[in-house]
Amino acid sequence: MRKYIWKLFTHFVNLISHTHTFHAHFSLLFTIGTTIAATLLTYLYHKINPSGAANIGLIYILTIMLISYHTDKYRYGILAAIISVFCINYLYTYPFYEFNFTMTGYPITFLVMYMISILSSATTFHMKDQARKIQEDEKLIMEAEKEKLRANLLRAISHDLRTPLTSMIGASSSYLENGDTLDPQDKTDLVQQIYEDANWLLHMVENLLSVTRITSNGVNVLKKSPEVIEEVLFDAVNTMRKRYPEFQVHVSVPEDLLVAPMDPLLIKQVILNLLENSWFHSNSKKPANCYLSSDEQQIYVHVRDYGNGIPKDKLEYIFDAVPSAPSSATDSRKGMGIGLSICKAIIRAHNGEIAVCNHTEGTEFYFSLPKEGMHFEQND
Amino acid sequence: MNKMIKILVIEDEKHIRTFITSVLTTQQYQVIPAVTGREGLSQAASQCPNLILLDLGLPDMDGMEIITQIRKWSSVPIIVISARIQEDDKVSALDAGADDYITKPFGNSELLARIRTALRHSNRLRGPLANRPYRSGGLIIDFEKHLVARDGQEIHLTQNEFKIVSLLAKNNGRVLLYDQLIEHIWGPYSENDNTILRVNMANIRRKLEPNPAEPIYIFTEIGVGYRMAEEDPT
Repeated sequence: MRKYIWKLFTHFVNLISHTHTFHAHFSLLFTIGTTIAATLLTYLYHKINPSGAANIGLIYILTIMLISYHTDKYRYGILAAIISVFCINYLYTYPFYEFNFTMTGYPITFLVMYMISILSSATTFHMKDQARKIQEDEKLIMEAEKEKLRANLLRAISHDLRTPLTSMIGASSSYLENGDTLDPQDKTDLVQQIYEDANWLLHMVENLLSVTRITSNGVNVLKKSPEVIEEVLFDAVNTMRKRYPEFQVHVSVPEDLLVAPMDPLLIKQVILNLLENSWFHSNSKKPANCYLSSDEQQIYVHVRDYGNGIPKDKLEYIFDAVPSAPSSATDSRKGMGIGLSICKAIIRAHNGEIAVCNHTEGTEFYFSLPKEGMHFEQND
Repeated sequence: MNKMIKILVIEDEKHIRTFITSVLTTQQYQVIPAVTGREGLSQAASQCPNLILLDLGLPDMDGMEIITQIRKWSSVPIIVISARIQEDDKVSALDAGADDYITKPFGNSELLARIRTALRHSNRLRGPLANRPYRSGGLIIDFEKHLVARDGQEIHLTQNEFKIVSLLAKNNGRVLLYDQLIEHIWGPYSENDNTILRVNMANIRRKLEPNPAEPIYIFTEIGVGYRMAEEDPT
């Protein structure tokens, strides 16, 4: 008999091992293992306390619920229910070690027991299924939101890219088509326009590229090293002077050497964006002021212009601007919406803060960088 | 006079090659174009150019490999052209023996200035004038007399500060890497930490520059090193 059951069992295992995945193996083994463990436990319990037959049924129901919860198919719960009912009948009810479902009351007892087992198995399974579905839905919603954000950003970027590209294509084609009839001044103007648009595009691309230095697949990949902030500032100012020969700025740095851990190229990009902003959007050719300050924990970089300020309603969202809705015609072409939101992303990645405030004359942008326990002695 | 000067341009992108060629030709330089690394190497050997412009992102060979190969037999100035994505390559290219780098995109005037600097520099090292004083604006550095003066006022530098300044001045117009400076001043076994160099540079700026907040003599190239303003033409 035992031999026969073993043969049947191995046959069964072989059969499913050909067709099922690891998970199915796990489910089956888990079902069998748990049922055996429950039987051993109840057997032991029965030996110690032969009168506690009611608890034996409960232990089996608990086993069935456990199995339903940890396996991925309906059938394992049912299988466990059948085994349990037979085990109880065989081991714990009179006549012992014998199957007998026909004694008075037995058919109803075992039928009800079987129904309870099946039902609790089904309930557990449903509960698990529901939880999984909710989780999946949440994931879907989150992904949809991410997708929406990405689509918005892409739309904003392509809007910002398309404008200068259109003007470049227009200018160059009118040069190519009407080259003979244009006077030299017009030609120079057209080429100058292409030159400016190309430069603007380039800075845009550099801004976008810097985002890849902050995160890659959502993981912070910042490469920080201790840097002297005044050197980063000088480099940025130098680059500005190279790009815009008429650019003017007053720079001042404190006597002390200020050092903070950072990705210097990204911080340079932030300073460049702020300087460019002050140069193009303040509507004033008064030179901006750029200076450094610090306290115990933070280094601050300030860029202050003396232009006509930023309207109050824009101030609040200036760093989150999605420039898909260009509000003023003059600003839409050189819209810095993306530039400023990239500044914010960079500073946030450095655990710093970026802010803006209006003064009676002009606007001040400033950001902070934590020193993070950097200590330095200035030698002479 | 530029007619005698041959410049080898190793660049695979056609538009950039055309634009560089046209800029150099208008300045009367003689241009030898090469599309691949292999072609560049053979041209470098057969034509003996006075200067090489090398794009780091070539399809057939690693730019670094080309520099090492050329440096085995020639000290011809090499200016590396790198894209912004290749920030780290820039440093290793200079380390491998390139003389200077220029980052894409670059303007014509910047390109020509770098070429002039590299050519002049290769002449200066060989000439008898290697130790003549450096002059730029009001700044004079006399290497033999160990003297630094700005607008007639002598500036007192510490021993190490003078070493740094004179090394930068002798290589004026070229960028010197942090590691090159550290090795030269503090020796090859010094700690691999450029903090001390930064501190020294900050002190030099405060002593040397008329306005330390707006340097006009020593420029910082973030992540790479320092560059001294080119000396006045004599």
